[in-house]
Amino acid sequence: MKIQWSADYELGIDVIDGQHRRIVDYINKVHECEQSGQGDLDEVLNNLVDYTLSHFAFEESMMEEAGYSEFDAHKITHETFIRQINMIKVRYDLGEDVAVELSDMLLDWLLKHIMTDDQSYTPVIKEKLLSIPSRDQKTWVRRATERFFN
Amino acid sequence: MTIQWTSDLEIGIPVIDAQHHRIVEYINQVEHVQETKSQRELLDLMDELVDYTVSHFAFEESLMEEAGYPFTNAHAKVHRLFAKRVESFQKRAKAGENITVELLHVLKAWLVNHIKRDDHDYSELVKANMTEATKRAKARKGSWFGRLFGS
Repeated sequence: MKIQWSADYELGIDVIDGQHRRIVDYINKVHECEQSGQGDLDEVLNNLVDYTLSHFAFEESMMEEAGYSEFDAHKITHETFIRQINMIKVRYDLGEDVAVELSDMLLDWLLKHIMTDDQSYTPVIKEKLLSIPSRDQKTWVRRATERFFN
Repeated sequence: MTIQWTSDLEIGIPVIDAQHHRIVEYINQVEHVQETKSQRELLDLMDELVDYTVSHFAFEESLMEEAGYPFTNAHAKVHRLFAKRVESFQKRAKAGENITVELLHVLKAWLVNHIKRDDHDYSELVKANMTEATKRAKARKGSWFGRLFGS
């Protein structure tokens, strides 16, 4: 199953939307590789998994910083999913053809996750991290100091 | 295959672009070492690559922080994870394992993605902040001259 990215999947947080989109691109690439028999499937699968893990780390740090109340639950969802991926990876390393299964599972999971779990944190991130340009005290102090001495 | 430096890897901040370019050169050098298969050269290069990359991360993080980029910490977390990963490669290489092929894949994929997505996201804000800072510095210099020479 290949998927066309749609505005329905967007949260309105550019950096996160960009990361989700990249993951979807990778998933589509797995299918292309499988169908055409061309391209380095091994590399695409590794990149897909790597990028997904890096995206989770970004998202978790962001939720934690914003003080999102469901942070722990969201993190557990990520961890459970990582375990699932790892299980498939073990099978892949043993020579089993898991590419389509992995990318279908990822796609299914990702879209549901975006539409439910990620949408729940969106208002908090927008309010806490995006509406106030700088909450960082050090930067604030530095700016005030600069204004004072100018 | 080495990474070709193309304009889509540029984020429009010359100092950062130059650092990314340098990292790409390091990666391409690892590619070269892979062909010549000198373990010694590989270890030296890995040390340099890790040092350079970690200081580049620190520099980038300070620019983001100063500009008030809202995702500085999340971005920094991704940096830390990657640095850890490169360090583990370093350890394996020191233990005598040949990690070059695997490392090259990881480096190339990670860097290109990171620049095109994550770095791109902070570029506008950091650029605007740097322009402002330059203006302020010029203004300060102007007033200092003014005071000193009474104009």
